[in-house]
Amino acid sequence: MNKHTGVDLDSERLGEQVAVLRIAGEVDLYNAPQLKEEMLALIESGVRHLIVDLSETQLLDSTGLGALIGGLKRLRERDGDLCLLNPRPRIRRDLEKTRLVKVFEICDSVDGAMRKWNEQGGTEQ
Amino acid sequence: MTTTTASRIELKIPSRPEFIVVARLTVAAVATRMGFDYDDIEDLKVATGEAVTNAIQHGQSAESAENIAIICHVEPHALVIEVRDTGGGFDPELRRQVLEEGELQEGGLGLLLIESLMDDVQFKIRPGRGTMVRMTKRLPDV
Repeated sequence: MNKHTGVDLDSERLGEQVAVLRIAGEVDLYNAPQLKEEMLALIESGVRHLIVDLSETQLLDSTGLGALIGGLKRLRERDGDLCLLNPRPRIRRDLEKTRLVKVFEICDSVDGAMRKWNEQGGTEQ
Repeated sequence: MTTTTASRIELKIPSRPEFIVVARLTVAAVATRMGFDYDDIEDLKVATGEAVTNAIQHGQSAESAENIAIICHVEPHALVIEVRDTGGGFDPELRRQVLEEGELQEGGLGLLLIESLMDDVQFKIRPGRGTMVRMTKRLPDV
């Protein structure tokens, strides 16, 4: 864990246009710009389908949610998509309260997200 | 903390994002002492963080050294948290836009979260003297 910012971001490329971004820790106004930059860098490097792994995310405030919405908007402009992987019950509840469950796709495995996108023809190289 | 009378704990933080975590952890510590359960403590942490975020974003300028006050009123059956700033205030109606205009709105989420996580929320916008958000979380009936 990055003791200074309170969050660790780690990305892994699964293909030319697909990546997983793992967020560990607490996302708030202090470190949300870090999350925005990381997503922007992935998108600018050609990622069109992004899996955001929330299994180790302990807190995701409105600025973190706003960063994810911004990332989703950019990906959709490129005919891409973003899905949230395994958010903890606590964060899932906040997504429900803000009605963002209707905005984001939530998946329980990387394979599941890839399968869905492949069926749509979206991740073919 | 089995008090039958109200106690007051006041914290002042600089109006800077790196100190939001201090407000969250202080409120969590007070709530733990009062006997709130895990979910309620998480609600209090998120709501406090959102109120302080609003104070930073809509209160003083980013460069300001002005403090934001977080005041915990420990009451026999509830924790009341006030977050005060000295800035120009914000429009609480923003949250309604999020609900009405729907899907991909980034603004107003914080206010929506505060209202959905706390039992009672009041906004006081004092022209020229800043904004106060007063949030109440009641202890579950024993």
